[in-house]
Amino acid sequence: MADTQEIRGCVIRTDLYYSVDDHTWVQVNDDGTVNIGMTDVAQNMAGPLLHAKTKSVGTMRKKGKPVATVESAKWVGPVKSPISGEIVAVNEEIEKDATIINRSPYRQGWIVKMKPTNLDEELKGLLTGDAAVEAYRQKIESEDIKGCEHVEGFEA
Amino acid sequence: MAIRLVDLGTVSYLRSQTVYHGVAYARTENTPDTILLMNPKEPYVCVGFHQEVEKEVDTDFCRKQGIPVLRREVGGGAVLLDSDQMFTQWVMSPDRLPWNLNKRFQIYARPLVQTYHAFGIPAEFRPINDIHVSGKKIGGTGAAAIGQAEVMVGSFLFDFNTELMARVLKVPSEKFRDKVFQSLQEYMTTMKKELQTVPDREEVKAIYIRECEKALGEEIVEGALTPEELAAIEALDEKFQSDEWLYQKSGLLREGVKIHQDVWVTESMLKARGGLVRAMARLHNDRIEDVSLSGDFTFHPHRLFSDLEKALLNVRLDPDAIRERVAQFYEDHEVQTPGVEVEDWVTVLMSLQQKVE
Repeated sequence: MADTQEIRGCVIRTDLYYSVDDHTWVQVNDDGTVNIGMTDVAQNMAGPLLHAKTKSVGTMRKKGKPVATVESAKWVGPVKSPISGEIVAVNEEIEKDATIINRSPYRQGWIVKMKPTNLDEELKGLLTGDAAVEAYRQKIESEDIKGCEHVEGFEA
Repeated sequence: MAIRLVDLGTVSYLRSQTVYHGVAYARTENTPDTILLMNPKEPYVCVGFHQEVEKEVDTDFCRKQGIPVLRREVGGGAVLLDSDQMFTQWVMSPDRLPWNLNKRFQIYARPLVQTYHAFGIPAEFRPINDIHVSGKKIGGTGAAAIGQAEVMVGSFLFDFNTELMARVLKVPSEKFRDKVFQSLQEYMTTMKKELQTVPDREEVKAIYIRECEKALGEEIVEGALTPEELAAIEALDEKFQSDEWLYQKSGLLREGVKIHQDVWVTESMLKARGGLVRAMARLHNDRIEDVSLSGDFTFHPHRLFSDLEKALLNVRLDPDAIRERVAQFYEDHEVQTPGVEVEDWVTVLMSLQQKVE
């Protein structure tokens, strides 16, 4: 079980890398690929997701370009890739039921898997561990976010 | 930096969508936050980002009537837009607006609400993102991240053609369309309906901009689009008219029609032992406000069929509440419905709710 920290109920996993402004996380896998997803804060802000649509496998993405779009009753927006690379797999389950992202933003709700092209360099621009927690703490407190609420069966 | 106001007056249906998308995509760190005002010249149907046109819009009707259809990069459902609506589109830096979407909608709705108040219309913000007048919707709002900008969209509803709105939607039956139309009539309002007259656009604009300055705490200065923005808009003119963009496939389908935050028209079906049972209803919060039943089952004596519909009026969407009402009806009237049991009614009526979640 990965270490987690909570800020006003919002879960941050300390083993992931984060782009705090884009609300995304990166998990580096043993085979050199990375999984990308939305943070717990992001899924809370968006609310129950009605739909998620990923880009196709084989798509090359530069850092900051969308790998998917998600829609809730409140908002539509891109999930911006925190790193550059090729999409090698997409999570087909979230296209059938986007609320998986609400229930399990860091595990079952991963969005795409990528083969990175500039990982070492780009990871330096992301936050992990205590630095990520601190950045989120500041963001959550400065925005006066009341707190994250989780659906039944939520897993961090 | 002051907020830029760009009032384009009347624009083509296409530009009423491509301008704000283009301004968003062209945004750089030096672009001022922008409020765009415009009215589309002609009526058109605008579908949500993840909707599938052929499933949501009666495209045959629209083609015959010359009503264009466009896809926006903002969510929500298909809507009819026309010259009686003044669009109020914000294209802003993510730093300008709160991260918290509930707060963001509050800020966006405030100048709209306050402007309605200035005309004596008792409008109020109805979370998540509606504006209501005494329980009727006078406008919806939407939010999206487009390019490097956060975008908020909404409008002032000077007048609205509810009949055409009900007509352009793809619906399962004409009876369903009638229910949508009746519900729009009952649960939507406009400035014209509230005031018995259509106010002057310039007057609405002046008050709205003053209220935006208050809500955003920043001066608003009239400006123009830049060449870079115009180039982005022109590129989108082409993209938004392409079949590839308009007819893209999507998995997002809601079977009900949302009238406003609290009101839906929807239908459900059940294959019971005694035949097909169909329920079409208007749901208001957690109640069945109005229901029409049909199917190919036996109902004896048939003259009491409409009494069952009446018996279900205003019942709470709760299995126990429905069970009690239906059972009471069967007991009071001694009707016979071979192969259609009380539990079948509970199932078909409860599944209405699943269609709108």
